[in-house]
Amino acid sequence: MAFEAYKKEDFFDEMFRAEDDVFPHYEKLRVRLDELSRSEMMERQRRLDHSFLEHGVTFTVYADGQGTERIFPFDLIPRVIPAAEWEMIERGLTQRITALNLFLHDIYHERQIVRDGKVPAEIVDSCEHYLPAMENVAVPGGIYIHICGTDLIRDHEGNYLVLEDNGRCPSGVSYVLANRQAMRRVFPRLYRRMGVRRIDHYPEELLRSLQFLSPRKQDDPVCVVLTPGIYNSAYFEHTFLAREMGIEIVEGKDLIVVDNVVHMRTTRGLVRVDVIYRRIDDDFIDPQFFRKDSLLGVPGLMNAYLHGNVALANAPGAGIADDKVMYYYVPDMIRYYLDQEPILGSVPTYLPAVEEDRQYILDNLDKLVVKAAGESGGYGMLMGPTSTRSARREFAERIKEDPRNFVAQPVISLSRHPTICGSRIEGRHIDFRPFVLSGDDVRIVPGGLTRVALKKGSLVVNSSQGGGSKDTWVLNE
Amino acid sequence: MLSRVADALYWMSRYIERAEYLARLVDVNMQSILDLQAGEKESEYWKPLLYTFAEGDLISEARADLDTLDVGYFIALAKENPGSIRQCIALARENARSIRDQLSEGIFVELNSISLFLQSDEAERLWHRAPEELCRRVIRFSLVFQGLCDSTLPRNEGSHFIQMGKNLERADKTSRILDMLTYGDIEMPSVSHANVLRSCSALAAYRYEFRGRVSTDSVALFLLFSSRFPRSVRFCAEAINTSLHAISGHAHGHYSNEVERITGSLQGELSFSGLEAIQQTGLHDYIDRLQSRLNEIGQKLFETYILLPSAVKDVTVSQRERAEFFQYQQQQQQQ
Repeated sequence: MAFEAYKKEDFFDEMFRAEDDVFPHYEKLRVRLDELSRSEMMERQRRLDHSFLEHGVTFTVYADGQGTERIFPFDLIPRVIPAAEWEMIERGLTQRITALNLFLHDIYHERQIVRDGKVPAEIVDSCEHYLPAMENVAVPGGIYIHICGTDLIRDHEGNYLVLEDNGRCPSGVSYVLANRQAMRRVFPRLYRRMGVRRIDHYPEELLRSLQFLSPRKQDDPVCVVLTPGIYNSAYFEHTFLAREMGIEIVEGKDLIVVDNVVHMRTTRGLVRVDVIYRRIDDDFIDPQFFRKDSLLGVPGLMNAYLHGNVALANAPGAGIADDKVMYYYVPDMIRYYLDQEPILGSVPTYLPAVEEDRQYILDNLDKLVVKAAGESGGYGMLMGPTSTRSARREFAERIKEDPRNFVAQPVISLSRHPTICGSRIEGRHIDFRPFVLSGDDVRIVPGGLTRVALKKGSLVVNSSQGGGSKDTWVLNE
Repeated sequence: MLSRVADALYWMSRYIERAEYLARLVDVNMQSILDLQAGEKESEYWKPLLYTFAEGDLISEARADLDTLDVGYFIALAKENPGSIRQCIALARENARSIRDQLSEGIFVELNSISLFLQSDEAERLWHRAPEELCRRVIRFSLVFQGLCDSTLPRNEGSHFIQMGKNLERADKTSRILDMLTYGDIEMPSVSHANVLRSCSALAAYRYEFRGRVSTDSVALFLLFSSRFPRSVRFCAEAINTSLHAISGHAHGHYSNEVERITGSLQGELSFSGLEAIQQTGLHDYIDRLQSRLNEIGQKLFETYILLPSAVKDVTVSQRERAEFFQYQQQQQQQ
């Protein structure tokens, strides 16, 4: 009864390949949901929401001047990914992160790729997150992005495309784990019957990747999570990960640098720190080095890092891989460094900095999405088809003034997924963020954060703008 | 253990103990108001509570219109009272949130639930319908919290900081409540012996020890010097001393830092004192001196373990930073 009035419409639907016909990997789920009455389903959803609030699985919103804690809306209907599809995603992500790390190493050392004319020097040097201090610095294992959250979407035909790489401080993995714990309780039998792959070893894998970086080669290096503090919107995640890994969560004021070695202040005196999983952006980690007004950071941290006495994950300066203009060059990087064709597609991208692209962009502003290169979280964007004439005029001016700072892409209609909306099930747009760990090896826990735009027709999945999440079930077979 | 974490554990525990005492006081007082005789004013019953537990300018304002003020509500939930039960629990939760990784899931969930409840309209409604029920819920939460600490936390440094927060707060509150017996001297309605004992959860234990005899002297002896009752000041001082030595690893009877020295000396004094000690200065002055020593213990504890280990403090911490830390601690105490 659940899907009685469901309309797939003209979208790629994750569950329905045609009206009234589900993909085989969704069959068991459909049967189970059909057994539930509407009120039973609502009741389960309410129980879930209450349990999240009680366990403090919340994020902080600063809308009303004072921060309020909210739960990240969670939808009861899981997204299902069959084994073969996951295998392709996994290979694609591994290939991509390998190329990105090679690229970062190259850029901060020989710059072979620039000399060979594949990526223009001025694009690299003008990246907001480019860090000259990192030039010729030997980083542990040659790795810059240790934890990457790569956003994937599916187009009208169901092809997986990379939307962006988040190589600074990607968040969301705690929701992946918390959602799973909740779902196992709500649908225990279905979960077993469908043969879902485990994800609860993520914290263990993360700790392994961190320990691998330790400059002191000893059995039990001291790793910590560095948080901006309890008022940060992702604070729950920081403390969740620290607890799951069994390591300390520290704030800037807990750390102190003496003779270029980082220590934490404990009741027994100072204790040396080897690896810092920092959840603070480059700009804020060291007021002596970056922003003088930062109260979050640790004075002297960068010097300790450059002396090789402490490891940071992710490495400072890794943000250039996030730059939206750099995204344009990633397929070329894969070909250049790995001599392979990209496994995962990209969204067609136009650069105003390139002569012929610029004219095309200006002529087609009403059909394109224009993004500012250095922004994230859905800010600084022009949604062409729904924009006003004056907004387009303003963007045209800004593009002409500073072509380097923008990219343009066609509007991709994200795939949809059945979602509980009020007392009905309707299609809502979704994306997908798996988490990629790079240490001695690349490891990806089978799953990730499926974000869903809860507003009808909306393509914006960000939690700050009305997005929610779903559990993601990667199947054994 | 991180100094900041030790500090947060300590304050979380103190605020919870404080909330429990406040809730019990309000509950006891409301019960006794039921026995009001004709001609007695209800506000007379609330005066001593307000005098003891409310401080600052805000309260002198509140006291001015005492006849109309709902003191019970003021202590329990009033938004304008920074020391309300609601606020204590909110602060305990704030501290807990910053050290969630150190707590068992059960502890956080219980604390989070009571905090969400006290912030809600439901709490307001419950207060107006059955205020004693709200008090009991807070008391019950505190007892569950203690039980969870006891049964789910490893006995490491952190658990000793939790114990110290609880015991220091207990010693402070027990002695303050005892002080209410002296209010007759300052033209304040004094509180009955039974209510003082009830407010410290001590009535049954007291009766068992002293049978029918009730006098200010014997109540004072019991609440200050009992070696067996877990809320007596002496018992708390012993517990703090035990925690301190467990943390430092030093043998009892010796001290390795200032906080151990003054705690040990207080414990010794309480163990070997009796009525004469109180009679020398009078009960009120005796309690006054006791409280400043308890404050000193809190202060030295902070300087020893939280501020920075003394060996490195001079090299690494600037004067300004130290001043900030002190300021921060003052804020915690006031809230």
